[in-house]
Amino acid sequence: MILVTPAVAVVSVFTLFPLAFGVYISFTNWPLVGGYQFTGLANYVSLIHDSAFLASILFTLEYTAIVTLPILIVGYALAVLVRSNRPGAAVFRTLAFIPFIVGLVTESYMAVVELQPTSGTVNLVLAKIGIVKSTTAWLVHTGLAITAVCVLVVWFASGLTMMLLMAGMQAIPAELYESARVDGASWWAAERRITLPLLRRSIALSLIISVIGSFLAFNQFYIMTQGGPGTSTTSVVMSIVNTGFSDFNIGLASAMSVALVIVVGLITFGQYWFLQREER
Amino acid sequence: MTRATAGAAGPAARASAPAARPVRRREPDSGAAGARGERGRPARRPGAHRSRGALIAYLVGGSLVSAVFVVPLAWEVVRSFQPESVVTSAPSAGAFSHLTLANYQALLSGQDDIIRNVVNSLIVAAGTAVLTAAVATLAGYGLACFAFRGAGVVFGLVLLAFMVPFQAILVPLFVEMHDLRLLNSLAGLALFYTAFNLPFGVYVMRNSFLQVPRDITDAARVDGASPMSALVSVLRPLILPGVATTALYAFLFAWTEFLAALTFLTNDSLFTLPVALINVEAGTYGRINYGLLLSGSVIAMIPCVVVYVALQRYYVRGLISGALKG
Repeated sequence: MILVTPAVAVVSVFTLFPLAFGVYISFTNWPLVGGYQFTGLANYVSLIHDSAFLASILFTLEYTAIVTLPILIVGYALAVLVRSNRPGAAVFRTLAFIPFIVGLVTESYMAVVELQPTSGTVNLVLAKIGIVKSTTAWLVHTGLAITAVCVLVVWFASGLTMMLLMAGMQAIPAELYESARVDGASWWAAERRITLPLLRRSIALSLIISVIGSFLAFNQFYIMTQGGPGTSTTSVVMSIVNTGFSDFNIGLASAMSVALVIVVGLITFGQYWFLQREER
Repeated sequence: MTRATAGAAGPAARASAPAARPVRRREPDSGAAGARGERGRPARRPGAHRSRGALIAYLVGGSLVSAVFVVPLAWEVVRSFQPESVVTSAPSAGAFSHLTLANYQALLSGQDDIIRNVVNSLIVAAGTAVLTAAVATLAGYGLACFAFRGAGVVFGLVLLAFMVPFQAILVPLFVEMHDLRLLNSLAGLALFYTAFNLPFGVYVMRNSFLQVPRDITDAARVDGASPMSALVSVLRPLILPGVATTALYAFLFAWTEFLAALTFLTNDSLFTLPVALINVEAGTYGRINYGLLLSGSVIAMIPCVVVYVALQRYYVRGLISGALKG
């Protein structure tokens, strides 16, 4: 019992208490110093009418919708590549996972340098191929900025999906494929009839991890676009951070956080429900 | 390097199998089982890829695909050795004739000195790793080896905490850390990182202890060993892989974390490396210097790659057992 005390204490103080405290603050006009009053649902009412926050929700949903499928498809293709026991597979697996290990923060800084007009490598290469002009300023146009961030994120996150799907694929008994081959099934037919159905669980899991990750996006936008141009690439978390730490509207920011916890909780709960149902 | 990494993945696959065993019992068609079968099982689709030509095609294709993920990062390492004037001017083929340490020299001395920030990052990451591993080991030991009232509640709380994204509690946490005088404190940041990494760590350590055969713990008890001396003398070698996994995750998380460090630290001299690079990017110290930004990013990247390649079997093991929990 004493053994678990430190863990319970740390988790309670830094995770569970803030969670409850956040709900409490969201019903007040909390200032950083001084007294406060209960304001009932006032923060939630202004939340619904906060056009900047609503815009950030829409933007985050749009961003999530753009990156989720490419991450799954690229990750699936990579998993097919590295799941075998052929020579080289383990090395390819390691290499394709490195962008995820290095982290999006570092890679965003690098991307900022390489996306500069005239001096960045991205324009150098793409201008040679003839796709863009060498003076294209990626990070100052909304569409181009979103494109750049999304390509970076797909490149960064596919390795994780690869690892999760690969583990699932390797759990499928090899005999299934052998009997399919005896029956004369093509590679594609085996993939569609055996791998995909048996991989549903792993696919659901990797989808949920990437959807939650996209929904909580902050670093790449803060570093690469600062939420701009204007506020066009401001994500939900960035919106919360701005409200709480730039405007110092702690109550409203807490209400936004509560909304975020509920959404992420619903996604997680949906995942458990889905997986439980699969078990039966 | 090629052989080293290939070799590392083999034990990784084997190591992950026992980790998954207790989970597998409950969830028969879970993914972890497969990691074990990697070596020594019959070829997945015998015949389809037997020929030499197919193998060469596989190696060439696989190398090209891998290059997509590694070449950009390697390219940035090369770029970080170019003089700043080359980094920010129109690129040309001649730009590689003179590679220089100038960016690193500038970054590690003078106005943009980031040695302090690298040290801050190391302190926080190492502190988080040690603290997480220690606290998670104790909790895993308690949960797995001793039946006590409330064990279920404790494990439930840990799993609940696992589901809370820290981005969503940042604001109340900021208020709380402010009141606890833990803002602008590397120790405070490390404590928070520990809290965030603990649920996963406790989960991994509980599984590690559950795999220890009952006989071993019983024998230690019969010999009169106290729980703590049994942990140190008898159980230690058996749970070391779990400890490594826990510490590795905590270290990499703390080394790369950005949002919380940005929020909880406002004093430049306490910034961790990822936060300090924002100043470089924004040109806080005068004009924007992309050469410095690149060399700083490379410094941030190197420990991740080194630690991962050296310890990837522990990483993959944790990934698969963590994924199973869902």
